[in-house]
Amino acid sequence: MARYIIRRILWGIVLLILVSALTFVIFVVFPTANPAQLRAGRNASPAIIRHITVELGLNHSIFVQFWDYMKGIFFHFNFGYSYYSQQPVLTLIADRLPATLSLTIGAVILWVVAGIPIGIISAIKRGTFLDRTAMGVALTFVSMPVFWLALLLLYFFASDIGKFPLLPGANSYVGLTADPGKWFTSLILPWLVLAATQAAIYSRLLRGNLLEVMGEDYIRTARAKGLSERRVIWHHGVRSAITPVVTVLGLDIGGLLGGAVLTETVFEIHGIGLLNFNAINESDFPIVQGTVLLAAMFIIVMNIVVDVGYAYLDPRVKYS
Amino acid sequence: MRKYRAAIVGAIVGVLALGVTACGSSSSSSSTSKSGGGSTSTPSAQSVPLKSGENPVGQSLYGNKKGGTLTVYSSEDFEHLDPGESYFELDYAVDYATQRPLFSYPPNSASQLLPDLATALPTTANGGITNGGKTITVHIQPNVKFSPPVSRVVTSKDVAFALERGDNPNVANPYMTYFASVIGAATGKGGPWAGISTPNNTTIVFHLNKPQAQVVIGALSLPITSPVPKEFAAPMDKHAPTTYGSTAIVATGPYMLESNPKTGVFAGLGYQTGKSATLVRNPNWDASTYTSAYKPPAYLDRINVEIGGDASVIGPQVLKGSDSVQLDTPANSVVKLAYEKYPSQITFTPGSGDHYIALDNQHGPFANVNVRRAAWAAEDRAAIIKERGGSLTAAPATHFIYPGNDGYAQSGGAAGPQVPWNTDVNGNLAVAEKYMKAAGYPSGKYTGNAVIQIVGANNGNSPAIVQIFNSALTSLGFKTHVSLVDQSVMYSKYCGVPKQEIDACPTVGWIRDFANPLTTLYVTFYGPAIVPTNNSNWGQVNNPQINAAMVAAENTVDQTAATQAWANVDKMLVNQAVAIPEDFDNQANIESGNVDGINDLWDTGSWDFMFTSLK
Amino acid sequence: MSEALLSVQELRVAFHSDDGIVHAVDGISYEIGAGKTLGIVGESGSGKSVSSLTTLGLTRGSRAQIEGQMLFEGRDLITLPDDELRKIRGNDIAMIFQDPLSALHPFYRVGAQLMETIQVHRHVSKSAAKARAVELLELVGIPDPKRRVDQYPHEFSGGMRQRAMIAMALANEPKLLIADEPTTALDVTVQAQILALLADLQERLGMAIIIITHDLGVVAEIADEIAVMYAGRIVERGTTQEIFGAPQHPYTWGLLSSIPRLDSPRGEELVPISGRPPSLINRPSGCYFHPRCPYVRDAHKRVDPRLEPANGSTGHVVACLLEHAVRDRIWDGIQSGRDPEALRRMADASPSPAIPAGATPAAEESDGTDSEPSESRLVESESPAGERLPPTESPYIGPEETR
Repeated sequence: MARYIIRRILWGIVLLILVSALTFVIFVVFPTANPAQLRAGRNASPAIIRHITVELGLNHSIFVQFWDYMKGIFFHFNFGYSYYSQQPVLTLIADRLPATLSLTIGAVILWVVAGIPIGIISAIKRGTFLDRTAMGVALTFVSMPVFWLALLLLYFFASDIGKFPLLPGANSYVGLTADPGKWFTSLILPWLVLAATQAAIYSRLLRGNLLEVMGEDYIRTARAKGLSERRVIWHHGVRSAITPVVTVLGLDIGGLLGGAVLTETVFEIHGIGLLNFNAINESDFPIVQGTVLLAAMFIIVMNIVVDVGYAYLDPRVKYS
Repeated sequence: MRKYRAAIVGAIVGVLALGVTACGSSSSSSSTSKSGGGSTSTPSAQSVPLKSGENPVGQSLYGNKKGGTLTVYSSEDFEHLDPGESYFELDYAVDYATQRPLFSYPPNSASQLLPDLATALPTTANGGITNGGKTITVHIQPNVKFSPPVSRVVTSKDVAFALERGDNPNVANPYMTYFASVIGAATGKGGPWAGISTPNNTTIVFHLNKPQAQVVIGALSLPITSPVPKEFAAPMDKHAPTTYGSTAIVATGPYMLESNPKTGVFAGLGYQTGKSATLVRNPNWDASTYTSAYKPPAYLDRINVEIGGDASVIGPQVLKGSDSVQLDTPANSVVKLAYEKYPSQITFTPGSGDHYIALDNQHGPFANVNVRRAAWAAEDRAAIIKERGGSLTAAPATHFIYPGNDGYAQSGGAAGPQVPWNTDVNGNLAVAEKYMKAAGYPSGKYTGNAVIQIVGANNGNSPAIVQIFNSALTSLGFKTHVSLVDQSVMYSKYCGVPKQEIDACPTVGWIRDFANPLTTLYVTFYGPAIVPTNNSNWGQVNNPQINAAMVAAENTVDQTAATQAWANVDKMLVNQAVAIPEDFDNQANIESGNVDGINDLWDTGSWDFMFTSLK
Repeated sequence: MSEALLSVQELRVAFHSDDGIVHAVDGISYEIGAGKTLGIVGESGSGKSVSSLTTLGLTRGSRAQIEGQMLFEGRDLITLPDDELRKIRGNDIAMIFQDPLSALHPFYRVGAQLMETIQVHRHVSKSAAKARAVELLELVGIPDPKRRVDQYPHEFSGGMRQRAMIAMALANEPKLLIADEPTTALDVTVQAQILALLADLQERLGMAIIIITHDLGVVAEIADEIAVMYAGRIVERGTTQEIFGAPQHPYTWGLLSSIPRLDSPRGEELVPISGRPPSLINRPSGCYFHPRCPYVRDAHKRVDPRLEPANGSTGHVVACLLEHAVRDRIWDGIQSGRDPEALRRMADASPSPAIPAGATPAAEESDGTDSEPSESRLVESESPAGERLPPTESPYIGPEETR
């Protein structure tokens, strides 16, 4: 197992290098604005543009630029500097990461706590009014665009613009260490937004899995052994049904850690997603490169975690 | 100045409900604002009347309440806080609150410069302009101080240094062309200019090699003339790019970026990249160091700029909340909401720039002047106004000097020069065909093989506007190829690159740098101003007579005569149909109910932090 | 006969489905005494599994209709409340299933699953339970039980898994073991081992066994009594010697004939029973077997036979309308390889039974096919690995007559 993990990590690094190279290529090939020209501004003289181009290192071939970039990362852990603010990319990312982490972790907890029991109860009470209502509501949330739901919640519950001012509105996020109370209340609506759509997906997923599992032979055996129905459902049924859900959860977490752009934008939470989005608009390539790498890293890591975890969840799976 | 990205292209689509349509070509004009800033009458349209408080012309500047904190929302981040580098609207808003250029426009005037750091506006009468317009002498206030940590009295040498560093490649000010006539400016590279002399601490003299005093004086209202202490900034200017304005800065205005008083470092304190900026009072600012004509009251104690966020959320937050303003253009739905429910909280500022269709004057079918005239005649400008949201936010443009600038009235005002292709804002196919015939297409329709390359922006209402022009062209028998791209890509990769030979760029626009019509016409239509990249003479206009006329106007010393000369240039541009004007813009801005916001008429209605107060 | 351990009386189990009511078990009765072995034989769809699942209450549900009596040690399992029934499951009555790989939970160790059975019925410590688990594995002949007890089901071979399953069933020393197709998923050599194991355990522990299978060969070795089921009913029941020595029902004849024999001549074709098992929603009129019976007469399509003593012996019962003497002759004929036509003529010669009052009217004859094809409706999924009847057309199925 240890060898497996090491192998996966090494491949992961290779993958990150490839992702980085691909991002470089995309920036060169696709019609983005030339960052030197953007920085130089309106009607800049060619001399100024040239100067900025050299300063940003854009005069070199992309291979040289890429090589310099990789060297910077591997030898100095330097991810470059923003074209606009000259701030180190690593500093900017480190500054924004806590917000994204707060958003992700809170939402995950919320949707797991909500979605899993609902899925199980719906499966157990299949066909009843409770099940049908729960799945109907879930379907509604699954179909809702995140952006729209966020706006809706703000228009109803935001303390500044909502009809029923209950919770802090957009742009009220503060760091955990700065003000724990405000940190928490400012994240409630964003958590609800992220959790609502996800809980719906997970409850439906789990319901489907559990229904399928409950038709398996070993469930019949468990009942034949005289186990209580509750033990049959939880210990035998849910234990099997939850395995694919855990896998999906790991991947979802990996994806969210790369930044939830829509939610962060609407609630004005300065996380990785918003950083990335603004950088793309401004052709601030080093930041985009950094956030893309970060997102890719999270996904790769969570993939490994999920795969390794799966071996613990399902003993039939063996890695060498 | 660069406006917010959304604003240049996207005004309001949803205001359709307010339903303004241009009808017919009879010219019953109604004015939607008083004169001063310039009228925005739609020559032949029903105007939607502004409700009380919506027209910032005539706003009351003095005698308001002191104190409080203002929250300012901006979707985009700062680009350059160093006044030597800025050209973006948000940067300007902070620059003018924290720095003192030699001259400033008061909020209530788009064209009347008043002395700020200077003691008087130089004229030939008061001896400020001498030597046939080649020498300008400016005296500055004697007791203005820099903010901590520099904290000393500003001298004329600081103004000289501020200008000279503009040539330093690590600063790279985009407006240096306006100072090109100052002797030694062209080759400065950051070192002293021979043409600037500082005989004493309060006097600065500019020696020009051409009689362009008017131009230079106008340019001395730009942020770059704010004094910069050499001993503090020169070491920072050695970095590429300079760290003055990104790490540390000092102020001379009523406010400053919150910074460490010992080092002047504001990064992380008064400015958090991508998140927020904070302006506090400058402890060394002395309200008495102004002439009586212009005196910023500086009511607010503190200004918080919040960066990022979604326009449709910010709008209601501002309108329903308190103590806040939005610096960007509000979203469509928000303008509608404000106009209907919060009319006293929205302003429409006339003279906020214009838009036009740049036509390639040198290559392709549009190299022929009559083809250009035909395209102009066929273009439906009324439809464009509708697309931009009706007469609240736009009026059909009829020439190239827009309202608020010197020369607007002289060049025909709202109706513009009455040439046949200009008189019908709805577009007139018959007239257009006449000019096609004159161009050598007897049928009145294009019969050549060229395909017209059109490049436009892809956001907001730009695609629809491109489509309006496209229909005009196809009605004249042209085949077209339309590309819609990101706005910055449009400028930097296509329309701004002469080699691309793009035939038409229908979503370009302009905002002046100062009131002198040179800033509206020169960079955009002067032949020698064409550069291979980041070109702003998108049509590659290079007409020898027009070039000569511009040079002559530039070198006219007397202001009235200069204004008339520029108006004549404008008429020539119309005559030659170098481009097709689309609309004169009014800028919408929103504020909270308890904010007594003051709009800078000279700066597209941007909220002026020095004059805004809380009720 | 000693008092029966389990006495099933007129058990009826029906399921409500979207296509109609599925009569899975249609009035069966049998008994089994302590220490004895009963074999229940039939095709898939005969209802054999449903009846034993019902013993443990595993067919209870909102869509199930269960009637009759199942007396176990004097208590009626059908009316027993759930919590009482749970005390019996895995404790007094245990059940093992066909495919031990899918019948054991893949995520839990074998030992843990064994311990679970023990601990749900007895208050013992974990270590005691584990020790007992090891003991049980040894009992069923699994080598190296101390290591095996911590392994997962997928680490066992097929035969070992079935042994482990048996171990789990035996954990609480049940009085009755129900084995549902225990050897169907195993290969032949292992099959023999498992059967031997069952026999051995029965002797040692004195428990009764009900073994359910489609394979007469399996029960030949180990059963004391055999009940043959068809379309939810028992069509013949007797001791093993009686069933093998003097089978009375044409269906039983078919089953016996279709057992491949090592001593039959090479190239001799297997003789299957033509046709397919009937739908349990629309069953044939009269004798349920009539659409597939080579010896059917007109009256058989209208009269539903009852279980009657075969030849005077009350232990051996059969539900067939043919005369006993005729049946004997036909069976002799089959065994000596007489031509099927000749056999059929023998049946024709048999006197037709009188049609009692209340028999199915002529107009309502049905041949037991559904008016439209529908999917199998049985709750239990039986998929015997062995027998697969080819859908040959029977010359006796006339045009469809539906109600």
